[in-house]
Amino acid sequence: MPRTQPTEDLFQLIRDPIEHAALVAHVRGPGDGAVVTFDGCVRNQSHGRRTLYLDYEAYESMALTKIREIASEIHEKFTVNRVAIAHRLGRLEIGETSVFIAVSAPHRPAAFDACRYAIDTLKRTVPIWKKEYFEDGAVWADGELPPAPPDAPIAKPAS
Amino acid sequence: MATASNTIPIKVLFFGRLKEIVGRSEDSPAVAEGASIEDLFSTYRASHPELANYRSSLVASRNQEFAAWSTPLRAGDEVAFLPPVSGG
Repeated sequence: MPRTQPTEDLFQLIRDPIEHAALVAHVRGPGDGAVVTFDGCVRNQSHGRRTLYLDYEAYESMALTKIREIASEIHEKFTVNRVAIAHRLGRLEIGETSVFIAVSAPHRPAAFDACRYAIDTLKRTVPIWKKEYFEDGAVWADGELPPAPPDAPIAKPAS
Repeated sequence: MATASNTIPIKVLFFGRLKEIVGRSEDSPAVAEGASIEDLFSTYRASHPELANYRSSLVASRNQEFAAWSTPLRAGDEVAFLPPVSGG
């Protein structure tokens, strides 16, 4: 279950360009000694094939839930003040930002560690998919299979 | 689908290549009471045999949480079959 979220955290799934500076300003406060950001952007090639553009889609309600869970985990694991995570959906051109993460903390080690944790976990657990468009076709990008509960003998519900 | 008395309504969502295979992003079937997520997938696999190629590389969710394939369905559940995720 998601734990209580500090109200200063910010989560976005948006179709308009991500506003980096606004997210940084959002997490930055007087108690911070560091803000670490991750800017994930659209590369011009994939496995040697020239990429034209990407198209992202999400299971939006679940993706937001999972992003909130990542932030909750960050507050448990690291001494940070605020977290902002934004992911863009729809068609993205080369060079555009697809995901942006900003973490503020009193000291830099926690900010670096938390930012790294956020992007690594997002890529493994948040239901977002990208389709890569090339000159000669399009493919759904190879992804990671999120960890799921194992099948187990089912106990009959008590009802 | 079924109109027998012992069915429950659920909602099913498809994403990525599954949406392309099934040709729709959502469905609102009635399933037999006691059916599992695996049983539900089997009904789609019967109508779209290509889905069998992807069963081992999917995870299931129920009401926005990852769920075991053996999870029994309840009325009003929102189920999704999720391909490997590739955000970021």
